[in-house]
Amino acid sequence: MSPVLQEDDEKDENVPKMLCQMDNHLACVNCVRWSNSGMYLASGGDDKLIMVWKRATYIGPSTVFGSSGKLANVEQWRCVSILRSHSGDVMDVAWSPHDAWLASCSVDNTVVIWNAVKFPEILATLRGHSGLVKGLTWDPVGKYIASQADDRSLKVWRTLDWQLETSITKPFDECGGTTHVLRLSWSPDGHYLVSAHAMNNSGPTAQIIEREGWKTNMDFVGHRKAVTVVKFNPKIFKKKQKNGSSAKPSCPYCCCAVGSKDRSLSVWLTCLKRPLVVIHELFDKSIMDISWTLNGLGILVCSMDGSVAFLDFSQDELGDPLSEEEKSRIHQSTYGKSLAIMTETQLSTAVIENPEMLKYQRRQQQQQLDQKGSAARETGSATSVAGVVNGESLEDIRKNLLKKQVETRTADGRRRITPLCIAQLDTGDFSTAFFNSIPLSGSLAGTMLTSHSSPQLLPLDPNTPVPFGTSKPSTEPVAATGTRPAGDSVSKDSVNAASAPAAPSPSILTTPSKIEPMKAFDSRFTERSKATPGAPALAGLTPTAMERLKEQSLVKELRPRDVLESSSDSDEKVPVAKPSSLSKRKLELEVETVEKKKKGRPRKDSRLMPMSLSVQSPAALTAEKDAVCLSVPAAALKLPMPGPQRAFTLQVSSDPSMYIEVENEVTAVGGIKLSRLKCSREGKEWETVLTSRILTAAGSCDVVCVACEKRMLSVFSTCGRRLLPPILLPSPISTLHCTGSYVMALTATATLSVWDVHRQIVVVKEESLHSILAGSDMTVSQILLTQHGIPVMNLSDGKAYCFNPSLSAWNLVSDKQDSLAQCADFRSSLPPQDAMLCSGPLAIVQGRASTSGRQAARLFSVPHMVQQETTLAYLESQVAAALTLRSSHEYRHWLLLYVRYLVNEGFEYRLREICKDLLGPVHSSTGSQWESTVVGLRKRDLLKELLPVIGQNLRFQRLFTECQEQLDILRDK
Amino acid sequence: MAKVSVLNVAVLENPSPFHSPFRFEISFECNEALADDLEWKIIYVGSAESEEFDQILDSVLVGPVPAGRHMFVFQADAPNPSLIPETDAVGVTVVLITCTYHGQEFIRVGYYVNNEYPNPELRENPPLKPDFSQLQRNILASNPRVTRFHINWDNNTDRLEAIENHDPALGCGFPLSCTPIKGLGLPGCIPGLLPENSMDCI
Repeated sequence: MSPVLQEDDEKDENVPKMLCQMDNHLACVNCVRWSNSGMYLASGGDDKLIMVWKRATYIGPSTVFGSSGKLANVEQWRCVSILRSHSGDVMDVAWSPHDAWLASCSVDNTVVIWNAVKFPEILATLRGHSGLVKGLTWDPVGKYIASQADDRSLKVWRTLDWQLETSITKPFDECGGTTHVLRLSWSPDGHYLVSAHAMNNSGPTAQIIEREGWKTNMDFVGHRKAVTVVKFNPKIFKKKQKNGSSAKPSCPYCCCAVGSKDRSLSVWLTCLKRPLVVIHELFDKSIMDISWTLNGLGILVCSMDGSVAFLDFSQDELGDPLSEEEKSRIHQSTYGKSLAIMTETQLSTAVIENPEMLKYQRRQQQQQLDQKGSAARETGSATSVAGVVNGESLEDIRKNLLKKQVETRTADGRRRITPLCIAQLDTGDFSTAFFNSIPLSGSLAGTMLTSHSSPQLLPLDPNTPVPFGTSKPSTEPVAATGTRPAGDSVSKDSVNAASAPAAPSPSILTTPSKIEPMKAFDSRFTERSKATPGAPALAGLTPTAMERLKEQSLVKELRPRDVLESSSDSDEKVPVAKPSSLSKRKLELEVETVEKKKKGRPRKDSRLMPMSLSVQSPAALTAEKDAVCLSVPAAALKLPMPGPQRAFTLQVSSDPSMYIEVENEVTAVGGIKLSRLKCSREGKEWETVLTSRILTAAGSCDVVCVACEKRMLSVFSTCGRRLLPPILLPSPISTLHCTGSYVMALTATATLSVWDVHRQIVVVKEESLHSILAGSDMTVSQILLTQHGIPVMNLSDGKAYCFNPSLSAWNLVSDKQDSLAQCADFRSSLPPQDAMLCSGPLAIVQGRASTSGRQAARLFSVPHMVQQETTLAYLESQVAAALTLRSSHEYRHWLLLYVRYLVNEGFEYRLREICKDLLGPVHSSTGSQWESTVVGLRKRDLLKELLPVIGQNLRFQRLFTECQEQLDILRDK
Repeated sequence: MAKVSVLNVAVLENPSPFHSPFRFEISFECNEALADDLEWKIIYVGSAESEEFDQILDSVLVGPVPAGRHMFVFQADAPNPSLIPETDAVGVTVVLITCTYHGQEFIRVGYYVNNEYPNPELRENPPLKPDFSQLQRNILASNPRVTRFHINWDNNTDRLEAIENHDPALGCGFPLSCTPIKGLGLPGCIPGLLPENSMDCI
């Protein structure tokens, strides 16, 4: 800019005027836009193409071959991507805030959103305009994009789902005649959107559209012909405080330049009713485009007549520009921008107060560098070998080129020369080929970087002729290119977007970036749900009666999924109904991946078994009520009961393989009929007899228990030893469960008991399900007994309760209709790797609903504050539920997530409370109530795990330091 | 956008006797690996008057071409003197280097060539029948004339590119055929015929 600003520089021949001429477009170029980072330039033209340019960093000035010498390109800009999709001239292009997306609009009536992190991926094509789309602007917060077209409408689209938010037509109804462009603009504070060419009382205006309700009450009037370009100053200003004047805080305001077909330019401040300045007849033809300088004090205006004008303002005229920090504070207060969207420059302005923190940050940077370095070394070693082979100067090569040149003859006898490759492409970025094939990943980015920055170019002689120029060392910091796209381009909003380009995570800011398209996540996730990990699938075997197969077919549909879900946790033994014969085979097909092949014998047996019964799914069993011969005491609740059968088989586990076989009334000894219980575990068998008929059985690796008629419950060890005299149940059995040494019995009158057989204590004593089943036709759809002996009931209405023995109350742990889960969005806090890999009782109970909830979250546009609150509430309830279920693994997972969210969003008080609890008293006092462990995890270890997360936000450096110091004190003790 | 751009052509062994071979060191850059070979040709314009005296000195295939910068030396035998009209043997003529991809010419580099007798005596009194063994060829290496054409680089002839090929600017004098054409004729009419960097004019 200096030759434009200063005459001396203009006259100085050593100051280059034109830096680079890019002549790749095939037709006239309609629009050029710098990315916010300044690293890329996007251009769109009548050739229907958008080209994205990046500066090639280390080739010096050169001329275009064949052109006369004075046209030397001082800087080398290389086209890194060509975006092809439009079927007509591209009229405008726009980078989204933080350069996550690039939008382009065209005379083909569409707007295309490109993934700027992964060109040339198209995220969305916005259709809806019925005329040539001639202007685009992004909302500074990234929530919307607006387009204006010849169809006399201005449309605002949501970036959340790329759907139309609103279409504004009224101010454009009178618009006749066409302008070449309709460049609209959004104010930097986000409040106003100003359109090009609108009409008010048959006078041309620039319509002001308020963000709140898209109201169109104001406009900029005065131009004599249609407005072609509107461009807001990137800065927000505030009144310059004059000495002596009252320090009355004035409202910040924006500044807007309006260019028109009438060849004049007007500049407006939103705090003034009249324009700040109007320049008439600036050009010979219509104004085409306007661009403000970064500091907000200069404007460049270009016209159809081929000239460009520069206007210079002083701070006295415009006011004091707010700093980026203040600007983002305004955004934050208005739209609740989270820290995730904060630019790195802002972060870097925070002073690191503590050496420990500094060390931590350094360490992270070091790790990044190390990883890069190792990647560099790998490629470096490869290239250095090549370097030695042709380790000669370019001059040498040129001397011997003819001799060395590989020349062959083709089949038809023609000469074919293999050219000598003298250099890789030097964009310092990815060639189009890269874009097409390989997904970006941190390491790859590193590799590519090295291939450009390592001196693998053959050593260049500075005297070599012009086009090769002199090799200039890479000026760009190595880290910049690789990590940037992940770091600051992933805005909070892109996180919500259906096709967010990158896996968002706050850790990305500091850890080596791992850019993965969302797709990868999805597929990984579905893979997982398809083939549940090699956990031994537990399928309890309760064969179904042949004649009931029809009734069951409905249930069958559901069951295989149940199996999959429940088997995701190897520890939880969830007996699952296993229908015999036909249905069984079907089931096996679906569970194949999970289930180990069973030994021949038991399977055969179960196939031969004519009689079967399902215990698992009471819903299916309601049909059996009639078959129940025992009278049930009158009660409000009556759960289905299993009827007596001649024989049945049950698989307890497949690894170790364990079966229970029951034969009722087999042997008669002196007129008394006995029932036989057989158990086989890894080939070892035991048998025992009982005096009454066995109704149902259950087993775990530790115990086997059977419920008989006359309300008897007997418990045996794995070797068949009776552990207890029969327990008399208050009413007939409905469902029996075993997990570890815990035995759970649900009776027909809906009372629940859980005993710990080893310790011989009661965990839950005849607790009634009345409170949770009350009032409606609800049934229990799934029953779960956790490893810690906590019973969980999944009800047919989608709610799940667990019984908390210490509180002696039912706790709601999951609700499929929970609106919190639907609105919560903590995607940004998900760790990149083990995103969904947390399994446990809570996951089983909640199923995959939690994911769909997050999917659904993207469909609603919720004010940020509300979303924050719901997310917090949801995460807190998840942590609490995991704690109640005593599922340590899940507790850790959700706690980490919760803390990460708190760190991201900057909730200090809650964060502090968590840390305080985890840390406990540093100096042990006798009166302390503090427990050092939580669900089997040491709290201080948890805190150590949380600290790096907390350290990611410099705002919490004091908290970080405090905890770190106290942990150090504790360790030293 | 062109996948291949020529960075430089260096004229080797210049000036040289008429009968010595032409040698050009060509460096070019390719921003996407090419599926097929490039075909390079050297065409010697025997007479400015007529195309019929053009001689294709040589044609080579160059490949494979991965993305990156490459160079090679293109050597071709001297033109056959018997095909050159006697009146045009001495004086200024033109040598063309063309490159085609899939049969479409995308660049044409032209050099003025001055054939003269280094011997001042001969220069003063040139023999009626040109003595090619005495002629010296001097290529005006410092002033190449480069013309670039837009071609379809992809195999699939998509609509967009097809339209480009009918670009009016191309239709008006630079047919895309590879047959040698009178691109450079009399020095006087060259600037009109072949604007420097004709792409800029499109």
